[in-house]
Amino acid sequence: MVNESSKKSFIKKMVPNVIKAAVWGIITYVLVGYLPTLLFPIGFLPFGYNQLFDLFVGIAVFFAVITNLFSGTIFGYAFNIARALIMIIYFIVAFNGGIISLTMPMQEFTVSLVVDVKAFLLILVLVNLLGIGKSLLQVTGFLAKKVEAEQLNQ
Amino acid sequence: MKQAIRALAIATLILWILLIAFAITAVYSVMNLGIDFGESQFFSSNGDVVLSLPFFINNRGYYDISELNVTTHVKDYNGTLLVLSETFVPLIASGSNVETAHNISIALPDILSMGYAEFLFNDSSFELDAFVALNFAHAIPVQISMNLTIPWGAPLSNLSIEYVPPENNTLVIPISFENHSFFDIVGTMQLEVYNDMNELVTSEQRSLNVFSYGEYDEPVEIYLSIGDLSKLTGSGNFRLVFDVPMFTVERWIPYG
Repeated sequence: MVNESSKKSFIKKMVPNVIKAAVWGIITYVLVGYLPTLLFPIGFLPFGYNQLFDLFVGIAVFFAVITNLFSGTIFGYAFNIARALIMIIYFIVAFNGGIISLTMPMQEFTVSLVVDVKAFLLILVLVNLLGIGKSLLQVTGFLAKKVEAEQLNQ
Repeated sequence: MKQAIRALAIATLILWILLIAFAITAVYSVMNLGIDFGESQFFSSNGDVVLSLPFFINNRGYYDISELNVTTHVKDYNGTLLVLSETFVPLIASGSNVETAHNISIALPDILSMGYAEFLFNDSSFELDAFVALNFAHAIPVQISMNLTIPWGAPLSNLSIEYVPPENNTLVIPISFENHSFFDIVGTMQLEVYNDMNELVTSEQRSLNVFSYGEYDEPVEIYLSIGDLSKLTGSGNFRLVFDVPMFTVERWIPYG
């Protein structure tokens, strides 16, 4: 009896999260994965950057779904921190540590392109660190509230 | 705590919006950059050979392009630096365009003084290393480099001179060469005949007007006095001096 009611309350609690996760997943995919392909032609990104873009869309959609699915729990915050950390690693890898270099063989010669995006990468990392800071504060707030509630119950 | 979280959330959101907006507009700006290269031209200026590479940049993007620096290194087949040229455009503001040319000026006398006289007689090639550096949106330095091989056509290619024994006191010396270069050869050619004692026998000067990719094939007729005839031997050296605005070069060719 008790089990059934806790199951029901769990489902009741989870249904809005599932809907929210699905909606955010779709919105994130449209914003991150679909809209850029409308703005910029397919094949705009050179060489291996298409795969990196797909990976970025995958990471963004996955974390949009998972953080919303677990929103209101400590896991939601943990996934937010994980997302920021993974994004930092992703950006460092994708931007090759801030120096993007491409070699394009032309008909009679080879063109090498080096783009120094260190400043841009630094800002990206800082914004993600800011996100981590925000999540840590949220976790602290969440735990403080929980402890407070437990103490009040006692 | 709540206020701090809210402030951080707002700051993060604003920064993300700015970053995404910058990324989109930057990519859009690069895509709308109109770059066009004109036809490269060779011409002579103040005795130098100038390779002019005209280019046109139309900045239709949202961001300025600053400190555009085009540098070219011309090297010989061994990698020795012959010429270094630079073109600097301080700013191509958003919505403006720039039409300029990168000139690679080759002072042939300097090159010849470096011991590259063979460039005048034999076809060869140069290595051209080009570097383009610019600052996009005053924040993103971009560097483009390329290297290509430029064929060099010698202006006095296949130079040939023959000794034909004199007949009726007249020395007829057939001289021929092909002008494989992109410039016309307008100047003079001095021919001197030396005997086997390295004594000047006779000399003759001819004016030259050989068009680019043209051929010179004319015998030089020299009337020899009895004194000249007595000095002439069956072997010796020809000395050819080519004097054109772009270079002066001499060539010793043995005969007999």
